[in-house]
Amino acid sequence: MTKLSISMLPAAPLHAFEIWGNPAAVGKRFKAACGFALPALGRSDGTAALRLIRFEPTVWLVEGDASPLASILSDDGAVTAIGGGIVRIRLSGNNWRTVLMEGGVFDAESPTFAAGCSAATIIDHVNVRLHVVDETTCDAYVPLSFSQGLLHFWTQAADALAG
Amino acid sequence: MMQFTCPHCGPRAQAEFVYERTVDSVVALDAPPEDAMRTLFTRNNPRGVDDEIWRHTYGCRAWMVITRHRVTNEISAIRAVGPEALT
Amino acid sequence: MITFSFDGKSYTAREGDTLAAALLRNGVGLVGRSFKYHRPRGIMTAGVEEPNALVTIGEGGRTEPNTRATDVFVYEGLVAKSQNRWPNLSFDVGSVLGLAAPALSAGFYYKTFFGSAKKWMFYEYFIRKAAGLGNAPTQTDPDRFSQRAAFCDLLVIGAGPAGMQAAVEAAEVGKRVILVEQDNILAPSLLRDPQAQDAAWIKATAERIRAAGGRILTRTTASGYWEHDLVTLTQRIAEPGQIPPHNVAQCLWHVRAGHVILATGSIERPMAFAHNDRPGVMLSQAVRTYVQRFGVVPGKRAVIATNNDDAYKTAQALKDAGAHIVAIIDARPAPAGAGSGFRVYNNAVPLSTKGARHCLKSVTALVDDKTVSWDADLMAVSGGFTPVVHLHMQAGGTLDWNEHAQAFVPAASRQNVTTIGGAADPQAIFKMVPVSSPKKSFIDFQNDVTLADVDLAWAEGYRSVEHLKRYTTLGMATDQGKLSNMAALGRLAEKQGVAIPEAGLTTFRPPYTPVTMGLIAGAGAKDAGAHIRRLALYDLHAAKNPIWQPLGYWFRPRAYPTGGETLAQAALREAKAVRNNVGMTDVSTLAKFEISGPDAAAFLEIICATTVSKLAVGRGRYTFMLREDGVVFDDGTVWRLDENRYLLTSSTGGADRMATHISYVRQVLCPQMRVSAVNVQEHYAGIAVAGPKAKSVLATLIGEEPPRHMSTVPASIAGVPVIILAASYSGERAFEIYVDASQAEAVWAACETQVNEVGGALYGLEAMEFLRIEKGHLVVGGEVDGRMTPHDLALDKMLNKAGGYVGASGLARPALAETRRRQLVGLEAIEGDIPEGAMLVTQEGASPVGHVSAAAFRIIEGGSVALGQLTDGFARHGEELIATSPTRGQKARVRVVVPHFYDAAGERYRD
Repeated sequence: MTKLSISMLPAAPLHAFEIWGNPAAVGKRFKAACGFALPALGRSDGTAALRLIRFEPTVWLVEGDASPLASILSDDGAVTAIGGGIVRIRLSGNNWRTVLMEGGVFDAESPTFAAGCSAATIIDHVNVRLHVVDETTCDAYVPLSFSQGLLHFWTQAADALAG
Repeated sequence: MMQFTCPHCGPRAQAEFVYERTVDSVVALDAPPEDAMRTLFTRNNPRGVDDEIWRHTYGCRAWMVITRHRVTNEISAIRAVGPEALT
Repeated sequence: MITFSFDGKSYTAREGDTLAAALLRNGVGLVGRSFKYHRPRGIMTAGVEEPNALVTIGEGGRTEPNTRATDVFVYEGLVAKSQNRWPNLSFDVGSVLGLAAPALSAGFYYKTFFGSAKKWMFYEYFIRKAAGLGNAPTQTDPDRFSQRAAFCDLLVIGAGPAGMQAAVEAAEVGKRVILVEQDNILAPSLLRDPQAQDAAWIKATAERIRAAGGRILTRTTASGYWEHDLVTLTQRIAEPGQIPPHNVAQCLWHVRAGHVILATGSIERPMAFAHNDRPGVMLSQAVRTYVQRFGVVPGKRAVIATNNDDAYKTAQALKDAGAHIVAIIDARPAPAGAGSGFRVYNNAVPLSTKGARHCLKSVTALVDDKTVSWDADLMAVSGGFTPVVHLHMQAGGTLDWNEHAQAFVPAASRQNVTTIGGAADPQAIFKMVPVSSPKKSFIDFQNDVTLADVDLAWAEGYRSVEHLKRYTTLGMATDQGKLSNMAALGRLAEKQGVAIPEAGLTTFRPPYTPVTMGLIAGAGAKDAGAHIRRLALYDLHAAKNPIWQPLGYWFRPRAYPTGGETLAQAALREAKAVRNNVGMTDVSTLAKFEISGPDAAAFLEIICATTVSKLAVGRGRYTFMLREDGVVFDDGTVWRLDENRYLLTSSTGGADRMATHISYVRQVLCPQMRVSAVNVQEHYAGIAVAGPKAKSVLATLIGEEPPRHMSTVPASIAGVPVIILAASYSGERAFEIYVDASQAEAVWAACETQVNEVGGALYGLEAMEFLRIEKGHLVVGGEVDGRMTPHDLALDKMLNKAGGYVGASGLARPALAETRRRQLVGLEAIEGDIPEGAMLVTQEGASPVGHVSAAAFRIIEGGSVALGQLTDGFARHGEELIATSPTRGQKARVRVVVPHFYDAAGERYRD
């Protein structure tokens, strides 16, 4: 088993994209402008330049250039910067699923939790959002204040599991 | 620890949820003082099924009504609460 | 060969031995002293139900007391010690208590408690010294305990033949399967009665399970069955006291299963007869296990006592191993054992045993009303089989009575659980009634409860099985009645004159076997028990080596002492810098919410009890929030950043509560609103700059005229975009700078340079507290204590007259408008320093009329001042009171004043 690599990704602008009305119309405008549909709950879509991950019924996490989104929403929602409070921790290696079961309550080992899937859960008492990038990579979006603690927790867990 | 099937996320552990109150103790914003106080302080506490409001706080953050049997913990229904256009 | 030690003496064991097997192999018969009477006890079983052989394993922080010698596998260097003996196992002073046995009979504790206090004081000294099990370790456990989640379609508990078969069948049709076994090998029961083909079948089946993706966990006990098919498993990664690989000693699994199969088998029952607790009296299947699995023959001359067929296998195994079977005492009238080749006595029940301290000497039985004795050094007893129904019952199941087996078997369950194998279908036995003297007929070996104790409890009026349990302590401690409950129940039913099922059952509570506390705590066993929340600017603070203060999960600088300053000295210097010059502090932990949308102002006017909609763009105001009953629960500021965009701040300590409240109002009460409410507490780091020179410092930093008091502008500091809020908590002209936390360090550094330039200082929470008390500002959790209304806090003039906010209805209750309520006041010392938390009295000895919520002193002039809550406080300005704290022996004479000790008119906010 290859050892898991756990590292913080550099700070990046992240936004909350929230819709309060006319979701169908917003979805249509979004697809026309961005070229892909707003992802369903528990899914992500997009590219490195603009990716939306849906963790909540009315809110998408936006990674990348959010500048066109306000006009897409028009009067049906709002975009709010949230990136300062979130640290992205990347777990890459074959056994990221095993590590995420440590202190967790969510079934990250399920084969249905595959690339493009997202989930918000709690790990070692910290609220964590997960996004499966590909079969060997999972990004965790964790609160800044807990990020050092979780990084330590996962590193320790990975060391124990690697042996 | 119970398991609730979140209307948005599917089956999830109780640790992700926070209990708020029963449905019959929701105080409407325009409730007259007497009604509001009765709702807050004079409530049923059935030994059996009740409708409870929970929030998937550490998951999708959505609110829901969970119909739960307070003795057996049998969950007979869960329905979403919130902006209806998006659920 | 493995070397280990027991009570300081070195022994050798074979690979795979349990400690019990190794001790028997070395001829150690006496391994413990009983709980109450200190009777000598030996190894009775070969499993987790062992009531006697409790030992302390390991040394230092790894010490594990009350470990069953039958449930620990010997490793090189294992250190074991016997328990509950003084000065040593062979000569134990406490055993004289055994001579005084009647004094410690059932209900002893209750009777003593209800007797005179003197009597208890007399007994307590001796009881504390003599009673009890092992001692808790005094050092910190150096190992970690892991907690893991797992999910499966099928969880099989018990890897006997039935469990393994169920697991392989499910795994091979594509189900996610977990198979757990508390032993360190699969199908241990097969080793008790080995057949030639077993080893190959076990190996092949395990391989098939793994090949199909199944997970097999050995040395893992299903300790609890919880709601919705959640089962907790406790996995030993290292043996007790052993240094584990990777520092992880045990793992607690939380398994959520679609379906659970219990293949937990059954536990053999002892029989009740006099001196049935002597070393050398063992359960029949245990004897067979030692002989066949471990190759240890626990005696040379054996008597077998049984009421079933199974014990004949033990006789055969012993015979094959070279032991002599003196007699088989079979309770059944018919010659069931005829043709077995053994000397079988039918219609025979054991009466008593004799022996020396370490061993058994003889067995006496009643055979057809005649007393017969045999010399023997081993007695193997089989009183029937009790299915292991613990998990089934924890899952909310019910039981049926199986008359043939004289046992409870699993019936219906409200969870997805099925019991298979021996636990569902125990062997038939012959029903026996104890005939021996009840006095030394032990039924609960661990708690020293005899049949006589049950009789006594009955005689004293205890009818319910639950009362019987509490009164006699039967079924408590590490074995939780695994061996004793059926015997007690049988006796109780006999007394009640009912069948056993009618006598009732005690509750089966988790855990099935004892669980180390550290495992329940998990990662939280170390450090603070939870992750510490670190400030975005943690590194910059840490470089200054501040005194840290925990605040919820946060750690914040309390003061930045320099040159050997004490906390008080540093805080005073920092507070003076703010009053005279300029200071800066980290306010990042404040709750912050960004509220956007056409309905944002209307939404905020539901959350906040003040008006919001009248704010012009670029302006802010103080606000507070009410609970539905009209009591203030938080306060903060609200700022209009743009036409449809507001920033709301509130207290650090109430941040999570406020986030929930805002979400509740948004999603449950106002789902139709066109508004987005986003928690930006951690997105923005916050820096407060306060003092007479704050404005000029800000002007230099942003290169423009700073906003006037209670105004906000977007700006840029060190090239980083920021939001400037001109707000003050200290009472000085002050600004809060909010910046994307990932870029906060550059902004902090720029501010610090400017503050230092003009001779200012950093300040921490302690100075902040001094400043706000002098100014008369509230703190949530202090003055805002969950009892005060806006009127009580003199905030009522700010209430939104249009109403409509949460709490407006509650606040309208007439009782809240009555006088005699506690109201916020200032307190000024006339004599002495005002103790924080002191009560306010009109004269010594009078009932309190209020209390001191926060105390400090005037920063420049000196003199003790405080904020407090006082009955009818608004009408009592000028009155003299005593602030007294009798528990600390502190008091001060105080005068009631307006709660503003500094710049009551707010002159200092004006430019």
